[in-house]
Amino acid sequence: MQDTVQTLISNVAFLVAGVLFIMALRGLSSQETARRGNVYGIIGMLIAIAATLSMTGDRTQPVAFAAIGGGAVIGAVMAARVGMTSMPELVALLHSFVGLAAVLVGLSMQLAHKENALAHRIDVYIDVMIGAITTTGSILAFLKLRGSVSGKPMLLPARHLLNLSMLTGIVVLGALYGMDGETWALLAAAGIACVLGVHLVAAIGGADMPVVVSMLNSYSGWTAAAAGFMLDNDLLIITGALVGSSGAILSYIMCKAMNRSIFAVIFGGFGAAPPKADKSKPAPPAGDVQEMTADDLAEKLSTSKTVIIVPGYGMAVARAQHAVREMSQVLRDKGVDVKFAIHPVAGRLPGHMNVLLAEANVPYDIVLEMDEVNPDMPSTDVVIVIGANDIVNPAAEDDPTSPIAGMPVIQVWKAGLVIVNKRSRGAGYAGIDNPLFYKPVTKMLFGDAKDAIEKVVAALKAL
Amino acid sequence: MKLGIVKETRPLERRVAASPQVVAKWKKAGFDVAIERGAGEAASYPDAQYEAAGAVVVDRAEAWQADLVLKLRPPTVDGATCEADAMRDGATLVSYIFPAQDQALVDALAKKKLNVLAMDCVPRISRAQKMDALSSMANISGYRAVIEAANKFGSFFTGQFTAAGKVPPAKVLIIGAGVAGLAALGAAKGLGAIVRAFDVRAAAEEQVKSLGGEFLTITLKESGEGQGGYAKEMSKEFLDAEYALFRAQAKECDIVITTALIPGRPAPKLWLQDMVELMKPGSVVVDMAAEQGGNCEVTKPGETIVHHGVHVIGFTDLASRMAHVASDMYGTNLWHLLEEMGGAAHHKVDEANDAVRPALILSAGDKKWPPPKPPEPSPSAKPAVVAVAAPPAPAKPAAKPAPKKSHGHGPAAEPPSKASAVILSVLGLLGAIAFVYFRFGNGATDHPIEASSAKLFQHVAVFVMAVFIGFQVVWNVAPALHTPLMSVTNAISGIIVVGGLLAGADKLELPVWVAVAATLFATINIAGGFLVTRRMLAMFRK
Repeated sequence: MQDTVQTLISNVAFLVAGVLFIMALRGLSSQETARRGNVYGIIGMLIAIAATLSMTGDRTQPVAFAAIGGGAVIGAVMAARVGMTSMPELVALLHSFVGLAAVLVGLSMQLAHKENALAHRIDVYIDVMIGAITTTGSILAFLKLRGSVSGKPMLLPARHLLNLSMLTGIVVLGALYGMDGETWALLAAAGIACVLGVHLVAAIGGADMPVVVSMLNSYSGWTAAAAGFMLDNDLLIITGALVGSSGAILSYIMCKAMNRSIFAVIFGGFGAAPPKADKSKPAPPAGDVQEMTADDLAEKLSTSKTVIIVPGYGMAVARAQHAVREMSQVLRDKGVDVKFAIHPVAGRLPGHMNVLLAEANVPYDIVLEMDEVNPDMPSTDVVIVIGANDIVNPAAEDDPTSPIAGMPVIQVWKAGLVIVNKRSRGAGYAGIDNPLFYKPVTKMLFGDAKDAIEKVVAALKAL
Repeated sequence: MKLGIVKETRPLERRVAASPQVVAKWKKAGFDVAIERGAGEAASYPDAQYEAAGAVVVDRAEAWQADLVLKLRPPTVDGATCEADAMRDGATLVSYIFPAQDQALVDALAKKKLNVLAMDCVPRISRAQKMDALSSMANISGYRAVIEAANKFGSFFTGQFTAAGKVPPAKVLIIGAGVAGLAALGAAKGLGAIVRAFDVRAAAEEQVKSLGGEFLTITLKESGEGQGGYAKEMSKEFLDAEYALFRAQAKECDIVITTALIPGRPAPKLWLQDMVELMKPGSVVVDMAAEQGGNCEVTKPGETIVHHGVHVIGFTDLASRMAHVASDMYGTNLWHLLEEMGGAAHHKVDEANDAVRPALILSAGDKKWPPPKPPEPSPSAKPAVVAVAAPPAPAKPAAKPAPKKSHGHGPAAEPPSKASAVILSVLGLLGAIAFVYFRFGNGATDHPIEASSAKLFQHVAVFVMAVFIGFQVVWNVAPALHTPLMSVTNAISGIIVVGGLLAGADKLELPVWVAVAATLFATINIAGGFLVTRRMLAMFRK
């Protein structure tokens, strides 16, 4: 009797937690409700943990409490310390923790119940495989985002064959494990899954990194759902499925934004050396770029009516968002209509630029999306591109052989004057030359984004 | 390369294809220019001015013999003879053509093996704006419409307070805020009137307001959703609402200027007879669509009539009434087109040039019209400055629920993914079947945590529901929130901690230690995820 009541209570608690998670995701879909959404998520999680602890009762080991306390502190410190510019890395790293936890849970089940039936083994196996792929994939994504590993995609000659044979290996070992329930088969398969995770992410690079992070997010959800089947726990299933499907949708939305097939992204290869057509052509946009000084720019800006600022990863790297905000503020005080234009995949995370601008107190109602600003471009006096490259590359529209052909871009070249701030003359993250720099409407402002913009601000104030 | 400017022969046409200023530019760029005697007379450009600009004044026949004949209105066709028969075989003609309306003309030109470029077919892309003669003429017509209205209107446009009494400002209603409508708006505003503009396109609102006009539109939010024959039902309601709005305005407004055109079709009837009768005596209606039959029911094309004391102006030659400036602007459009085609030195028709290709009707007599659809209409293809006479008749397009644009930012994903999508779905389905089979078929009953088939079913149902909810919830997220959303879902996926706790509730041996480690990692994720999200969200503010 006692047990039944206990089960009922924890089931109700799980249900409440599940609903709170749904409300959390729902809340996060608009600016007004986002903060409330996060609170719902926290409450849901606390309820879930409390309900689980009440289920396990006095069988819970004290060391588990220590793990919860320690984990909470470590997580809090990591979150509090991280700079807004290295947010993508942290998110990727956290994904790997979820994957790792799932692997460990599966392993623990295997070690504790070796004599399990086939049905149970299937659950364990799926949980561990997805978990392993998520773990190593996320770690590599973390290293790539941090810059410890080159962002260029690594393309082995027969990579699809390699993937296929690894997949076959996993299936074969799975069959072996299913028949005998041997731990070694599980571990060997997990090893292969780890390699597969690395290989999958290694093949993806360049502008596709945001999609990768979002895909890994989705994987971490599926692995939690698999754990739910294994442990016969509906809350895990619900939450895992929620996270898995929302992550998948998010990836899909981003792929659409880049006009790329999601399968092409998953199987990798983007951002590789451009097709040979590029070389046979006599390096088309070769020409001279025109430079402009900060003083000239300030003067030009102060006489403009409309200015659009297009930030990219370069702004994040130089931590220039505060200088940029100040520039926009000074201009707005002078009566200039300043807007920000954000490309859906600017930066290394979806929405990365919005987060940075928000950090610098830029009001979000002047931060617009690509589709909102493109029609206004011809009537815009000055566009300032700060550390962005591929997302303003006209080759995406003009040059069908370009690796980014067909990707919607911000059409800055239609404005009256385009100022491009760049550290150097190098190509963008995707390694593609940008004809924008050679257009007659374009002037370059070379230098670190922060220094350059601060100079402009000083010049503006001196005017 | 020799350019020939010929005199316009249509009745009421006072314009000429280029002004002396433009001719001077052509001379400088290396063209030879011949102009028919008296071609610019009606536009107040005497032959002497053309000569001073470097052109040779010649006879009609000689002008038509040039390599490139420049004209404004389409050549006239009379039975088997065509004006352009005077041209040399293989020469080039640039003028208005309206190929969709005048097949006979195109056939006649094709016989002469001519190259023909139609100024009315220049694409409405930003790059081609400088060549867009329809827009420049619409601009002039819009201005002139206001001037014609003022001519008939028996009062001031601007309000006046004088010793002799108070005069209220005139109220002007403009239907269709395209180029012509906006030009009329600006002109009327400049004269001091109160101006309102109606358009079915929400995008017009900003443009109207930027010129100081008041924007009128219809919002039909509540209208019959989800019924069969949706579009049709709605269009009737829409028209009714629109007419109701117009009737209310008819009682108030002194001047109504209508500009609604649908390419290749008769103009929609928007200002009905009873609306004219509702207007105050002495009011004026200017129907800029008169040539296409008129937006107003009582319009007589080409004439000004008085109906119930209301002047209804149906001039079809508004731009031609300003022939001087119109000729100069048209000539400038031509100048840009010839520049786009390589100037004097490298003149050629480049079919790869997407600003020129759509205007090409005939190439050495071969029919090139209609042009192929551009491979992928980029967002830029939408005109920044919208069509000549603006709103597509409210009757139909307004009611369409725009089915395709569900949420995406760009064009849909490309087809090759379809094959792989099918393969993956099939694989997924097979996997699911195998999963269910093994879970049911083999020892489902001796699952350690007492899983029965029914329970599994329940789990699968829950799983599917949750996947579905996840799709639904995230579909419409604002792109600015992608990062916080990802980070909160990341935190939530830390729910795996429940797994760690459940698996770890046992004697403290190896499996439990492993589970405890799982708990540790999961909690790091939970705390880190939620806090980072909080930090990010705290920064978003208006």
